[in-house]
Amino acid sequence: MRRVKERMTTHLQETDIDSVQELKALKAAIDEHSIVAITDPQGRITYVNDKFCSISKYPREELLGQNHRIINSGCHPKEFFKDMWATISKGQIWRNEIKNKAKDGSFYWVHTTIVPFKNSQGEIYQYVSIRTDITERKKAEEDLAEKNKELETIVYVASHDLRSPLVNIQGFSNELVQSCKELRLKLGGDDFQSLSPEIRTLLNQDIPEAIKFILSGVSKIDTLLSGLLRFSRLGRAALRSEKLNMNEMLDTIVKSTEFQIKQNGVTVKVDNLPPCLGDNVQINQVFSNLLSNALKYLHPNRKGNITVLGQVVENRSVYEVIDNGIGVSPAHQAKIFEIFHRLNPAQTEGEGLGLTIAQRVLERQNGKIWIESIPGEGSRFFVCLPHIS
Amino acid sequence: MTKEVIILIAEDDLGHARLIEKNLQRAGLSNTIELFENGQEILDFLLCRGNRQRSAEATYLLLLDIRMPQVDGIEVLRQIRQFPELRKLPVCMLTTTDDPREVGCCHELGCNNYIVKPVDYDKFADAIRQLGLFISLVEIPDLKPKS
Repeated sequence: MRRVKERMTTHLQETDIDSVQELKALKAAIDEHSIVAITDPQGRITYVNDKFCSISKYPREELLGQNHRIINSGCHPKEFFKDMWATISKGQIWRNEIKNKAKDGSFYWVHTTIVPFKNSQGEIYQYVSIRTDITERKKAEEDLAEKNKELETIVYVASHDLRSPLVNIQGFSNELVQSCKELRLKLGGDDFQSLSPEIRTLLNQDIPEAIKFILSGVSKIDTLLSGLLRFSRLGRAALRSEKLNMNEMLDTIVKSTEFQIKQNGVTVKVDNLPPCLGDNVQINQVFSNLLSNALKYLHPNRKGNITVLGQVVENRSVYEVIDNGIGVSPAHQAKIFEIFHRLNPAQTEGEGLGLTIAQRVLERQNGKIWIESIPGEGSRFFVCLPHIS
Repeated sequence: MTKEVIILIAEDDLGHARLIEKNLQRAGLSNTIELFENGQEILDFLLCRGNRQRSAEATYLLLLDIRMPQVDGIEVLRQIRQFPELRKLPVCMLTTTDDPREVGCCHELGCNNYIVKPVDYDKFADAIRQLGLFISLVEIPDLKPKS
């Protein structure tokens, strides 16, 4: 009996040693990859690993006993850290990206996860934070945002400035129309029997034809330019994120297209939709565009059916706009989001911007849009946005 | 009594200015039209700072292009609204886009109308007639105080 007990103890000790070694290995691996710190419940730093010291450029002894305020960059609003404390002091895990300031004044970005630990009485006795250096990614993101802004400004200025000469081309073409009219009157009416056939051809065919082509060209450029302007304005418009009642929004959109719906004999069904977080005006534009597309690309051989559904998936509100229209072939599915791409330029009106705008709007609001479609059967457009309860 | 309103056009694109002139005449407005090629010229005229100066007796209406080199239309509007005697001058902004921010800005600065080019000249002429009418009403000088 005694021997059995001894053997068990030895065995237990061996497993303990194994576990400790395993933990040590894990810690060594984490220390290689991550910036680690431990604080007491008051937020005083009780442990930092080498990576923490090297990225913050503080020696360990200057960090221990300090609050994390020592590396505060001042770039986040007070609410940001208030939210952090509210979460972790409840015993919940908090994740976010933080911009910190090193000892030499330089900034660095870290993706941070803070895990609270509770003792057997349920009181928090420490917070372990594990961070990853994302400074380079952040810098690339900032550069990209800057470049995008630049591009939008170029588009804006170019389309603005191009309209000015266009006004002249259009205006003076119309002046020519007027002059021709007066010329005809002065020459004694429409048939001009007294004039030579060459002059008659000039007055009756050549000049009107030239003017017709100039004016239709102008009107095409004008449509493209106003489209570009609208698109570039999206990036410049200030966003106001709020909780959106999607049932009310879809109700309004359906009502505003009621004429088209009735005219085409289309049935539109809107399910109960979950709310989401977004900019009211712009999200309204997204769903208006989707509905108007569904109405535009109806199947010629059957009655149109459009359904709007919504559900919450992993903290995201996902909406579907489903139609039984002509559908989009797989080869075209990525192209439909491209600027000025149009499926049937000859048969449908529009500037080919609806889906481009939808995609841009959603990108800026932490959302997404994608399509599933079977040609000849119909399309399903998915829109996903942050959920808010 | 009504006075004839002189239409001032501040527009750096001579083509645009000529089109406005021709179309206003075609729409039946026979008012005198004076052209200014940039923001500085119109400011000098209105603030009586150069050779070409406004007359204190005449009644004016200003068509003001927004995009002009150096002093743009918005700056002209901002400056002339600071002078009490010019505060009532009807100003109609001309622009090639309907940028909501620009429209908002001009209305805040006190423009009376905002017209996007290319212009629908019939509507334009109506708007100008109304502005003209408005001036002739407020210009009646001797309203006696109510007893």
